Amino acid sequence: MTTPTHDLPTPAGGPESGGSGISGGPSRDMDEPPKGASFVSYLLRKLGGALTSMILVIVLGFFAFRMLPGDPVLKIAKERPMSPAQIAELRSQYGLDKPVIVQFWDYLVGIFTGDFGESYVYRKPVAALIGEYLGPTLLLTAAAAVIAIGLGLWLGQLSAWRRNSLFDKIASSTSLVFWSVPTFWLGLILLMIFGGTLQWLPTGGMITPGLDPWSFAGIVDIIKHLILPVITMVAVVYAQFLMVMRASLIEEMSEDYLTTARAKGLTEDEVRKKHAVPNALLPTVTVVFMHIGGLIAGAVTVEAVFSWPGLGKLTFEAISGPDLPLLQGTFVVFSAIIIVMNLAADIVYRFLDPRVRRA
Amino acid sequence: MSKNDTTAEANAPEPTPSTTSANAPVIDGAKLVRERRLTNAKKNWSLFRSDIPAMVGAIVLVFFVLIAIFAPLIAPASMLDVTKQLDVPRYAPPSLAHPLGTDDLGRELWVRILWGARVSILVGVAATVMSMVIGTVMGLAAGHFSGLFGAIVMRIIDFFIVLPSLLLAIVLSSVLERGVFTIVIAIGLTSWASTARIVRSQTLSVESRLYIERARILGAGHRHILFKHMLPAVMPLVLANTTLTVGSAIIAESTLSFLGLGDTSKESWGTILKNSMDISAATSGYWWYVLTPGIAILLVVLAFTMVGRAFEAIINPALRSR
Amino acid sequence: MTDLSFDKVSITYRSASARGDVTAVSDISLDLPTGATLGIAGESGSGKSTLIMSVLRLLPKSAQIDGQVSLGGKDIRDLSFGQIRAVRWAQASIVFQGALHSLNPVREVGGQIVEALEHHAKGTWTTPAKRRDRMFELLEEVDLDPSKAVAYPHELSGGQKQRIMIAMALACEPDIIIADEPTTALDVIVQKQILVGLAKLVAERGISLLMISHDLAVLSAVCENLAIMRYGRLVEYGPSDQVCLSPQEDYTKQLAGAFPQIGDAESRMNPRTLKPAEVRRAEPFTMTDEVVLEAKNLNVSFDTRQGRERAVRDVDLALHKAEILAVVGQSGSGKTTLARSLLGLQEVDSGSQMEFAGKALPKKAKALRTFRRQVQMILQDPSGSLNPKRSVYEAVVEGLRVQKITDNEYARVIGALEAAELTPAADYLESIPQELSGGQRQRVVIAGALALDPQVLIADEPVASLDASVRGEILSLFLALKKNLGMSALIITHDLGLAWNIADTVAVMKKGEIVEYGDVDTVLANPQHAYTQELLAAVPRLGSQSLVKHA
Repeated sequence: MTTPTHDLPTPAGGPESGGSGISGGPSRDMDEPPKGASFVSYLLRKLGGALTSMILVIVLGFFAFRMLPGDPVLKIAKERPMSPAQIAELRSQYGLDKPVIVQFWDYLVGIFTGDFGESYVYRKPVAALIGEYLGPTLLLTAAAAVIAIGLGLWLGQLSAWRRNSLFDKIASSTSLVFWSVPTFWLGLILLMIFGGTLQWLPTGGMITPGLDPWSFAGIVDIIKHLILPVITMVAVVYAQFLMVMRASLIEEMSEDYLTTARAKGLTEDEVRKKHAVPNALLPTVTVVFMHIGGLIAGAVTVEAVFSWPGLGKLTFEAISGPDLPLLQGTFVVFSAIIIVMNLAADIVYRFLDPRVRRA
Repeated sequence: MSKNDTTAEANAPEPTPSTTSANAPVIDGAKLVRERRLTNAKKNWSLFRSDIPAMVGAIVLVFFVLIAIFAPLIAPASMLDVTKQLDVPRYAPPSLAHPLGTDDLGRELWVRILWGARVSILVGVAATVMSMVIGTVMGLAAGHFSGLFGAIVMRIIDFFIVLPSLLLAIVLSSVLERGVFTIVIAIGLTSWASTARIVRSQTLSVESRLYIERARILGAGHRHILFKHMLPAVMPLVLANTTLTVGSAIIAESTLSFLGLGDTSKESWGTILKNSMDISAATSGYWWYVLTPGIAILLVVLAFTMVGRAFEAIINPALRSR
Repeated sequence: MTDLSFDKVSITYRSASARGDVTAVSDISLDLPTGATLGIAGESGSGKSTLIMSVLRLLPKSAQIDGQVSLGGKDIRDLSFGQIRAVRWAQASIVFQGALHSLNPVREVGGQIVEALEHHAKGTWTTPAKRRDRMFELLEEVDLDPSKAVAYPHELSGGQKQRIMIAMALACEPDIIIADEPTTALDVIVQKQILVGLAKLVAERGISLLMISHDLAVLSAVCENLAIMRYGRLVEYGPSDQVCLSPQEDYTKQLAGAFPQIGDAESRMNPRTLKPAEVRRAEPFTMTDEVVLEAKNLNVSFDTRQGRERAVRDVDLALHKAEILAVVGQSGSGKTTLARSLLGLQEVDSGSQMEFAGKALPKKAKALRTFRRQVQMILQDPSGSLNPKRSVYEAVVEGLRVQKITDNEYARVIGALEAAELTPAADYLESIPQELSGGQRQRVVIAGALALDPQVLIADEPVASLDASVRGEILSLFLALKKNLGMSALIITHDLGLAWNIADTVAVMKKGEIVEYGDVDTVLANPQHAYTQELLAAVPRLGSQSLVKHA
């Protein structure tokens, strides 16, 4: 994309580009403070971004499953014996005999009416299956996210403040080790120790069959089932949060306003809690939110290991099927959840950081 | 570059009225540059050597690379052939006769680990190279070009940042033919976003430096700025990021294999774990079956991470005290 | 009341690295009796900041203090951490460089003032309501609107942030205020307002003021006594008039000389420096009538969120051969945009006419590139203008290679470096920017421009980021380039003194318009426009505490 030299910047590349250090646009008069953009325009921009992502997901969901080399039906046919008649029937069932544009239209209409087609393995509508499995996934990922964020940020700021202490070294190296293992393997190990050898905790499922999930015993039972998968997810993810928080706070520790705070007579603890940490949190929050998607995706393997009846397990089964309509459905729904979470995060961030108003 | 064509340009005006002799030695600066690079390399190597975890990591990496290369010599492929292992006990726990134990088909786990290293490391490295190339190009484009083109590239990067690479890799590898190449493509095509983000922010920060403006004033175009200033400025960062990314790519490979999206005909650490999961080794007491491939992954990933962090610290002295 | 004294103070940073210990301050003895004002001047690396940070024990742990720093007769090293915390802000407070990052970016500024009161209630500001009242009282004292209390630092201008810093320093009624470069990065007019305000508030309350700055003129305009520091040592100390107007030491003379007295005939066309650039021509070039670069009816506008903003308005400008033209204005006046337009780096509004040697400025990329050989620009910060990874040779040769000038490359580079007075040029070729001083870097940047053999140099604040002692060297180089090569230069600056030092003509810009334009001697001796008069009045004069006494 190296087009020939054009040195004239575009008119819009002036004040907004922020690219060139010397005033690309009018540098503001010193005693006229900068004005910020309104909340509405910020919201609209973020909303637009999320919408674009969602459209890309929907388009990708269609074309990946239909346009890539390897006819999906032939692929299914290859893995199980089928007669040409059956194949043809499958084709018309998936609408593969229609022109692509028509297929795409059908697919779009389907998505907006909540119709994701029918699962090949379960012989049930994909939408119904997803509805059934959505709750447990949200429970699992929400619990894991809250714990991982809390733990990671708290340990991260302690580590940074006591940089190079024994505590810091242990916390940092533990997190590195956790960061270096596959999530599902950690799950298998925990399963082996606590479920297999020690028999302390249940090894799979969400609730012992027969229990009422809304009774006290039922809730305790669900929590017992939750412990191992949650630990697994937390262990792998908190490490990233710890390292980000640590780096961010260390960066913040050399800032001038901390000297101001010290000069005002604050104790070191006050300097950390009231000044350094709130500032260090902001860049961290962005990164944490960025990793939320990764955490949610981690549910696929964790649910597979612990047979947790959620979207992840559904995805796992769709892969083993292979059950392409189901896989397509879980992909679109997973992506939608992640995009919505990110949008929420952006809006929260706006309230946390007064400086974003300037953006 | 420094053609001293004195005949044609004899009448050209002297650049300045100073009395510099036109017969001055022709130096293109290349030698000086080489010398400086050599001293820099020496300095960096001594920095790296003083980083004990990184040195340990490097040794571990060399070890695994060697066993991967020489796997066919150490353990002939026949040792993986199930039909030739009929007299070997199945599920034998680690012992002197079976150092890492055997699997459900009587194959020695140490042989499988050896052969698995080939695919796991190869996939990790190949996927990373792909991811780095895409990430660097996209990051440079998003950082350097303003206007519509830059905005579109930025949107694409954003999309890949928001959506976890595992999810996209699952989709890609489940619709493509099974195989090692598919896994490389699936990981490489989906894991470049974080590199692009780093490259972009570095590009933006370099872009705002005055020396870029100065190059423009001297009359430089996009190509000069991108190749002479931007690329050299982001390359060290990309290289350090590469070592860190290889680790993630190896984990991604094992995850995809574990989900059954790998090439079942080829040994990889993920495949071994997938086999162990298929026979519920974790809950049936065959701990060695689960433990050994995982530890191999842990060691290699940790080693790559240590080396990568050391590179990062060399590039960015501000990180060194951390 | 409390007095502050430094008695044979030396401060050493202990370091485990190969460089060993670094002595930042050595053997300084200074006194600041109650109600006095003392200024410490020094360039970067002089140890002045380390010295003042020792007063409240704010130095990092690796710093070791020898000698005695006493506050109110007590050695600060004898105080426990609890005691020093009580002293901080209550007895001595600091005005940091508010324009930079001394305020917490994510907390409201009012709250940051209240925080100081919470820690030092002194039996007066015991309730939240009382502290709030005190905070508003303080804002009023520094002439800030009470509504600013809920503002975040990024919503304030540099001058407003500096006022907040002063309000904060006054909050707990300290006996001593230490001001650390309180006006750096502010424009002259704002600088004057801040200094006058600070001096007045301090004088009214009988507070002692210890101020440090790199700017001798700023200090002498406010302080009774002046100390000059260099390399951690005290060079000269005395009443400020004496130090500024009849300095004893060479270094002080050099510093004082860097601030030309506008109207002083001796410094007209003669920047004071120990290393003046050589004028080699027997008959030096002087300003001619031949127009080289001309702008007529030049307008530049930007689309911003607030609508279309006109950065440059109806500017007419002509640069003659061997003329040095200074464009003077505050930040935001559009002077940099003007410079970029003249170089074809900035899109201009239709109707604007720009001509070089009688021909309109080219629009096409290729023609524009050739045009750049004739007109070169030097950017504000020499450190930023050089790629830190590339050697001096690579930096100077870059223009030649971009312009595809391949003959005599080596000779051209050496010639350019020698013309920029970086001699012997061959010794510097392999150096990388970090091995050079600020002044040397600026010479490399200038050489990079000269290598293309341009007819016009446009320089954007060429000396603003350099130490005062180097300023004269670089300015005299510009003068020599004009005299030796007949080069024309357009120099963008905020500093009227620079115009007095080297320029033939001066254009004063305000909000994109040229409000006054003419011969330097005429304009500066007899300014017609109110804005020029205001600018001229705001320039700190050396000595005589001008801002305090005449304010």
